[in-house]
Amino acid sequence: MKASRDLPLAAHRARLAPAMSDGFRPPPPWEMIFALAILALMIAAAAFAPLLAPYDPHDFVGRPLERPSAMHLLGTNDAGQDILSELIFGARISLAVALGAAVGTMALSLLVGGAAGYSGGWLDALLMRMVDVMMTLPSLPLLILVATFLREGLLQTMIIISLLYWPAKARVIRAQVQSLRQRGYVRMARSFGGSRAYIFRRHIMPQIGPLIVFGLVTAAGQAVAMEAGLAFLGLGDPTAKSWGLIMRFALNLPGLLLTDRWLWWLLPPSLCVTCLILAVTFIGTGLERHWQPRLT
Amino acid sequence: MWVLNNPAKSVRATLGSYLLTLWIVLTLNFLLPRLLPGDPLAALLDSESSDYVFDPTVRSALESYYGLDRPMAEQYFRYLRESITGDLGQSIRLNQPVNDLILAHLPWTLLLTLTALAAATLIALVSGAEAAWKRGSPTDRILTMASVVVSNAPVYFLGMMLIIVFGAWLDWLPLAGGRTPFARYDTLLAAAIDIGRHLLLPAVSLTAAMVGAKFLLVRNNMVGILKEDFMLVARSKGLPSSRLKWAHALRNTLLPFVAHLAAHASMAITGAVFIETLFNYPGMGRLIFEAVGARDYPVIQGAFLVVALVVLTANLLADWLNTYLDPRVREPSA
Repeated sequence: MKASRDLPLAAHRARLAPAMSDGFRPPPPWEMIFALAILALMIAAAAFAPLLAPYDPHDFVGRPLERPSAMHLLGTNDAGQDILSELIFGARISLAVALGAAVGTMALSLLVGGAAGYSGGWLDALLMRMVDVMMTLPSLPLLILVATFLREGLLQTMIIISLLYWPAKARVIRAQVQSLRQRGYVRMARSFGGSRAYIFRRHIMPQIGPLIVFGLVTAAGQAVAMEAGLAFLGLGDPTAKSWGLIMRFALNLPGLLLTDRWLWWLLPPSLCVTCLILAVTFIGTGLERHWQPRLT
Repeated sequence: MWVLNNPAKSVRATLGSYLLTLWIVLTLNFLLPRLLPGDPLAALLDSESSDYVFDPTVRSALESYYGLDRPMAEQYFRYLRESITGDLGQSIRLNQPVNDLILAHLPWTLLLTLTALAAATLIALVSGAEAAWKRGSPTDRILTMASVVVSNAPVYFLGMMLIIVFGAWLDWLPLAGGRTPFARYDTLLAAAIDIGRHLLLPAVSLTAAMVGAKFLLVRNNMVGILKEDFMLVARSKGLPSSRLKWAHALRNTLLPFVAHLAAHASMAITGAVFIETLFNYPGMGRLIFEAVGARDYPVIQGAFLVVALVVLTANLLADWLNTYLDPRVREPSA
């Protein structure tokens, strides 16, 4: 198993799929098609929201709690705002938070994991001890505590999510950097007087590139779930109409589940969140399988 | 995993590191409201602020509990003493001691999370072992796919679907709450049935949210173990396959599984906060949700402290269990 992990990628392909060598390419698995289609759809919705959405999501364009009709394909909410428009504009918030939080998470974990793995010694011990503590704490209650005191806002949401997810990823990066540091060519570069920044840029970064990309993708998925979750718990930005906030407002209506109103008010935003998360997850597992096809 | 990485760690050292973590939790809990911008605690007592507490008795209780006019060091030691002696202050919203609120809510959360944890563990062990044994078969592929989907879909989505189908649509089970309001039970059995009926949907949601990750852990570990030499020896001795599967392979899968139990405790709490909010279940998650809506800081801080304590205790127990189960950790020289 160890040996197969160190094989170059081309050798893997040759060993695993002999049919590939004569120009035949198997179609990508259906979950990858699903993932890319969903992601493309969401990005399009976010980019062209003003063109696609029939109304401004903040305008009161109908009577409260209208049923779906030709005017309002998914009806209206309790304030008379068009739910379909809210959904389309909601894609912007989910994607923005996913991107911001993923970059924040990976920047933090790269900084901590890289510093710990590369320098070793007391700094490594201290930073890893910190990671241990962070990973033992119940993350969501801590997040709620920070969120209540920080007040709401999209930037705050991104910061909070980054703070939550960096430790696990920092540990992975640290392990990889630590092992790279011991490789012959890195030691040689060091002995030739390569500066720390040079070695990191030239020899370490390209090697942990896949790890960072994979980390970005998983962090983005977690961020989508957490952003919607925080809004669902009433801790999001109340002015940013995200999918989580639509769910919160729907659930705030007493007796929502006693009528069929949930069908066009609660279900669509939760489906949007779930589909986006699953799309990102599938892309992540696809990348993982591509880079280390061990267990599948 | 880090438990396994430090085989020389003795039981006493583990306890020490948990006490250190507990101290960090206490300090975080003290510092967060005081260091973050906006000074949320002072706002409670500031008549200009929108958060001003109007009830004079509550306000004076808050004043004396936080002691914001005192020097920082004095506030800190006072806070440590009060937390250790179990005084968590007074709820702003309900004007009740935070202790009483937590005592009323914690048992529900423990009931919910322990039920779900037990169910998820059992299902994951059996299905994970089966999937690894028949690796690559349609059963394995379907189970693996389902686990990836279920463990990544947000837990509130799973809960919503269950409420909609079994609560609203089929009308088999209650939609919300921990028990029927104002119910009087004639027998213990009637009480158990009522509480069980209310527990079923939240517990199934939480189980579903946790079982995926556990399944993948069991399956992937067991796939590795099935390739080990001792499995080949056991097989060549002619042992029946059920014995190979359950007594040899699964037994060795238990170790990494137990090492991950600690991480699962935190995961269970995260799930419980969402599930309880969704199902109006009267546990700690619901308490936190309601306190967040009312900016009831003492309750949020107290709840965080207690939940952290529960999770830390679970971690410590998992560590000890791991030491007990794994001779390599118990006798590092061997």
